[in-house]
Amino acid sequence: MTTRFYLTCTFLCATCLSKAQNLSPEDGLLRQADSLLSQSEFFEASIAYERVLFGNRDVYDNYRAAIGKTQCLKQQKRFGPAVTFLNEQLSAPYPDSLLYRLGYERVLCQYLAGQFENALSGLEQLQYLHPQQPTPRLLSVVRILSLNELQRWPEAAAAYRALAVQQGLDTTRTPYDRLPKLKSEKKAQTLSTFIPGGGQFYAGKPGEALLSILVQGAGLYFGITSFLQGYYISAWGIGAGLFGSFHMGGVRRAETLVKQHNRRTTEEFNRWVRAVLLNE
Amino acid sequence: MKMFCYAVRAGLLVLSSITSLLGQQTQFSHELRFAQYLSDKEAIEEALHVLTRLPAASLSLPQRDSLYYAIGWNAYRIKRLDLAAPTLLRVSDASGFYPKSQFFGHYSQAFLGQTDSAYAALVRLPLTDTLHNELRHLQLAGISLLRRDFGRFAQHQRAFSYGSYALEKEERRMLDYARTMQNVKRKSPFLAGLYSAAVPGLGKWYAGKKRQGIAAFLPILSLGLLTYEGWRKDGVRSARFIGFGTLFTVFYVGNIWGSALSVKIKRDEFRQEYDNKILFDMHIPLRNVFE
Repeated sequence: MTTRFYLTCTFLCATCLSKAQNLSPEDGLLRQADSLLSQSEFFEASIAYERVLFGNRDVYDNYRAAIGKTQCLKQQKRFGPAVTFLNEQLSAPYPDSLLYRLGYERVLCQYLAGQFENALSGLEQLQYLHPQQPTPRLLSVVRILSLNELQRWPEAAAAYRALAVQQGLDTTRTPYDRLPKLKSEKKAQTLSTFIPGGGQFYAGKPGEALLSILVQGAGLYFGITSFLQGYYISAWGIGAGLFGSFHMGGVRRAETLVKQHNRRTTEEFNRWVRAVLLNE
Repeated sequence: MKMFCYAVRAGLLVLSSITSLLGQQTQFSHELRFAQYLSDKEAIEEALHVLTRLPAASLSLPQRDSLYYAIGWNAYRIKRLDLAAPTLLRVSDASGFYPKSQFFGHYSQAFLGQTDSAYAALVRLPLTDTLHNELRHLQLAGISLLRRDFGRFAQHQRAFSYGSYALEKEERRMLDYARTMQNVKRKSPFLAGLYSAAVPGLGKWYAGKKRQGIAAFLPILSLGLLTYEGWRKDGVRSARFIGFGTLFTVFYVGNIWGSALSVKIKRDEFRQEYDNKILFDMHIPLRNVFE
């Protein structure tokens, strides 16, 4: 009984002392964080990785924690905060090889966050600071896709051909042989001004064009017949009013339709190029 | 020998208790520092997650105060006032954070519409600092305005010195708000309807919605003229007269109903605008004094 008592007290002291001394063992925390990540508990895993960084003991443990936290943020689709986090980590004193990997992750997160200009300048920075590192295929793809999103197609085409040469692919036929044909908003507005429905036809919406022609025609017809029959107020109030408002509305609508058409065409082309690049 | 064994047993018991306590304290301060680290990195949700998992029941009073203050302040930073208010108000008067916690806790209550409890608690708050006292009067004056209790406002406004840089501008603005709110003319929905019946759109103009008044007037005028033309040329049984007459009637009745409603809408907009101004001017001095 007495022996048991002494053993219990000794055990309690030893446990509490060791707990007080060794509050954040990085290995245990890293394993715990990795386990949470593998169970898709991204928020909890993110906090666990921050505990490792907070402990700030070993540079390789910090690096593993930084990569782990980046994965958590990416899985939560929080690409903006991931970029902010990586910007902080890139100012820490990691060796070059680890800095390269963090820079690589940052470029990916910048693309995924829609920060295309930043992704391109991140790529340039990476190549400048680590000239001895060969550019991985994924980063070349990110460059092409970022240039696409910014509609810098000649540069994207050049980058695509460079990648195709590197990969030994066919360079005679590329997606950039058929660039999307964009329409002019000013032309649509001018057409609608002089030809009712003209701008809508140009924007590729014949149904809306016909409707616009019908309504404007009806307004004009009503106005003229009312005037000839002596209904002057109706001629101005309804005829001219209907014609005038649908005419001005038609001009603005034609501009909107062209913007939508251009956006849709660009997105379809970018989607196609993305599918080609990622499937090769 | 027996005495010696008892002494050793007692000593071991005391030692294990002390080490257990030390371990717990070190664990708590580590977690608090970690939460502060997360908070400094703007990872407030993560900081709250860490703090709210700490067992408050097993902590000493100073530790509990630090915990409640940390939770309350982080919740306040991300505008979770429903969590900030009750947690900040749990900080005890033994803590150095007590005055700040009380003021921000009661402000959060006022923001959430709990003006009665905020007022009652602020009145009873024991304060010795003259600046804090004047700040309390400013908060109470603001809460009185939110409750539209101008008598109480006048009482608290007498304590304004207009001498402190941290409070002066907001004190003067509170006075302006009180004057404006007391002098605002109460409009009648019945009168608005009557005006719009006489001249379409005039009721909205009376309610303070001038552009809407013009926008209501023009189509009714056009339909009126069209109806008149139909009556003059084709008579009362003509399709033109009946069609435009019906449209005119619908728009005319709608204009009267809309004018009556617009008085209430304008009144609600005014109340919302001034409540926001009052809450803003209650908040700024708190930041000036405590940060």
